[in-house]
Amino acid sequence: MTKGFLNRWLPAGALALAGALTLGASAMADTIKVGIIGPFSGPFALQGKNFQAGAEAWLAQNGKSVAGHDIELVYRDLPTANPQQARALAQELIVRDKVQYLGGVYFTPDAMAITPLLKQGNVPLVIFNAATSAIMTSSPLVVRTSFTLSQTTTPLGKAAVERGVKKFVSIVSDYGPGVDAEGAFKKAIEAAGGEVKEAIRIPLNTTEFSPIMQRIRDAGAEGVFAFLPSGPPTLGFVKAFSDTGLKKAGVKLFAPGDLTQESDLPALGEAAAGLITSFHYAVSHESEINKRFVAAGEKAIGAPDLLSFPAVGAYDGLFVISKMIAATAGKQDAEKAVEAVKGLGWESPRGPVKIDPETRHITQTIYLREVAKDAQGRWINKEIASVPEQKDSGLTK
Amino acid sequence: MPAAASGSRTLGRDLLGLALIALVGLGGYWLFPDNLAFLTRVISVALLVLSLDLIVGYCGIASLGQGALYGAGAYAAGIACVHGITDPVLLILIGAAAGAVMGLLMGAIMLRAHGLPQLVLSIAIVQLLHEAANKASSITGGSDGLSGMSPAPLFGVFEFDLWGRSAYLFGLGLLLIVFAVLRFVTRSPFGMICRGLKEDPLRISALGIYAFPVLLNMFVISGTVAGMGGALAAIATQVVGLDSVSFEVSANALVMLVLGGIGHLYGALIGTVIFMALEHIVAAINPFHWMTLVGAVLIAIVLFAPRGLSGTLDELARLLTRNRWGAGR
Repeated sequence: MTKGFLNRWLPAGALALAGALTLGASAMADTIKVGIIGPFSGPFALQGKNFQAGAEAWLAQNGKSVAGHDIELVYRDLPTANPQQARALAQELIVRDKVQYLGGVYFTPDAMAITPLLKQGNVPLVIFNAATSAIMTSSPLVVRTSFTLSQTTTPLGKAAVERGVKKFVSIVSDYGPGVDAEGAFKKAIEAAGGEVKEAIRIPLNTTEFSPIMQRIRDAGAEGVFAFLPSGPPTLGFVKAFSDTGLKKAGVKLFAPGDLTQESDLPALGEAAAGLITSFHYAVSHESEINKRFVAAGEKAIGAPDLLSFPAVGAYDGLFVISKMIAATAGKQDAEKAVEAVKGLGWESPRGPVKIDPETRHITQTIYLREVAKDAQGRWINKEIASVPEQKDSGLTK
Repeated sequence: MPAAASGSRTLGRDLLGLALIALVGLGGYWLFPDNLAFLTRVISVALLVLSLDLIVGYCGIASLGQGALYGAGAYAAGIACVHGITDPVLLILIGAAAGAVMGLLMGAIMLRAHGLPQLVLSIAIVQLLHEAANKASSITGGSDGLSGMSPAPLFGVFEFDLWGRSAYLFGLGLLLIVFAVLRFVTRSPFGMICRGLKEDPLRISALGIYAFPVLLNMFVISGTVAGMGGALAAIATQVVGLDSVSFEVSANALVMLVLGGIGHLYGALIGTVIFMALEHIVAAINPFHWMTLVGAVLIAIVLFAPRGLSGTLDELARLLTRNRWGAGR
């Protein structure tokens, strides 16, 4: 009986398979699919929405086709750092959805899980956020349009010592970027003549920060350096820093801009006032191109207060992908695509940027900012100094 | 009814069941050649849900910590693979052994308590292991995940590549073997005692049977199966994340089991396939609000099919065949 069953269904299965294959081939004709992996639901959903807003802002300004090839974005949700799921999603985007480019990726562990697939799938990955230096060494087919912790943290050392703060406690999330940030800050502060008295690493999923604040108090430090991935953890951390009275007691917090992203500022308000951060992008950056970007981004995301830095990574990411598509004339050739954008320079909403031909990471200006109110009374990251043409220093040991 | 006749009848039914699983599995291979990575994950989770069914469905022990066993298998296989043991069959056995050892430990602890405290213990164990895996990042990779595995080709020929054909067929073969063994185990006198302990522990102990070693045995078997599932996931995706030893995985497994029907091995399979397919399709259609939709469908299923999908199917079959049977009685 089973044999009859098999005989009957085998041809049907084969037919369906053949049908699916021809359908797949005809659909590929002139639409280039770009798979975007990011946190679109769950606690980090706002960061994912910023990916979407940045990408859509770019499409709205530049049209949905590049050199005659239509771009179709395929979003896949990865709510929290989950390397296994990241790999599964990327594999599926490549094999089933036949994407020619991968983009997005909020967390470093996810990026590290995806990179081994790129060569076999003949697909470049343009990272919109994940910020550990070492990702770039894991595959030659990765290009990054965000930042690294080493890049954003390094200027903080000098800035802190200039403000008379020398003895630090460092607090970072215990994963790739956190370790990078801790190392970069230690190096920077020691070069400027300060010191890190105690380095604390906390689990990535920590949400309760009062015990950490107590440890800072006990350590008797003048300043705190902190990095956590932007989202609920950073909001909780900055709030706890203010609520437990550390801020009032005169302890100074220095951090990369992840801690004061614009979408958190309305909720933080006074708690964040005066904090010094260093970062590659502030929504309030003064330039014509940024004004246009912010207008398009706010329209895509739906509310003016929600826009923050992942959007600019996605916006520039799409620009890079469009250059890749143009250079390969729409054909799937990952190596040629990556080769084409090495050394590419352009004017981004964050300022002048360039893809470093050696590391394939973005070279950019890093700004020192202070949380303050603008003329309309909105909390912003006010740029107070800038360090131009910062490469990623995280790989040069 | 003579024992021999009933024996051959159940054997026939088992063979038919296995043939059906193989057929559905191979059908999946032909019909969805682009989805094999996902289907392999379904098989891996099916092993986890089967293992949970052994504890929950056959012994009546509530557990929200099955991820501990699954994760033990995944990490053991992953770590072994990173350190040069690359034969996939051997890796599955390593995963099974790690799962069994973890099952022994977990059972020894959980069987000290009953009811809700037991449930709390299971959650505590999986959370502790999660933290341990996070802390021991030099061995497990911590939050960054364990990567850098490259399993050798299966039998020296079939590579584990991007398209996942060999991984899927390997997984399907594993599932068939495990399923056949579990059918045997659950119907053996040992399996019957477990069921008896679930229904009426007092009466079983009146028969002179001491419950603890029996249940501990089942924990070890369950751990072996879950460990194999974890090892399969590690081989197929070549990454092991903290997620594989989490409360979330454990809770999801229980949801799938309830969905399919507790206490039926087929129910565990049906529940896994339906739940994961639903989640997969909805998440692809709407990556922004898929969780809401999945939640709504789950509530609907639990409300309208409280005995799980397989229980409802049973009932349906009984309704359809009642007249025929009724005449005989």
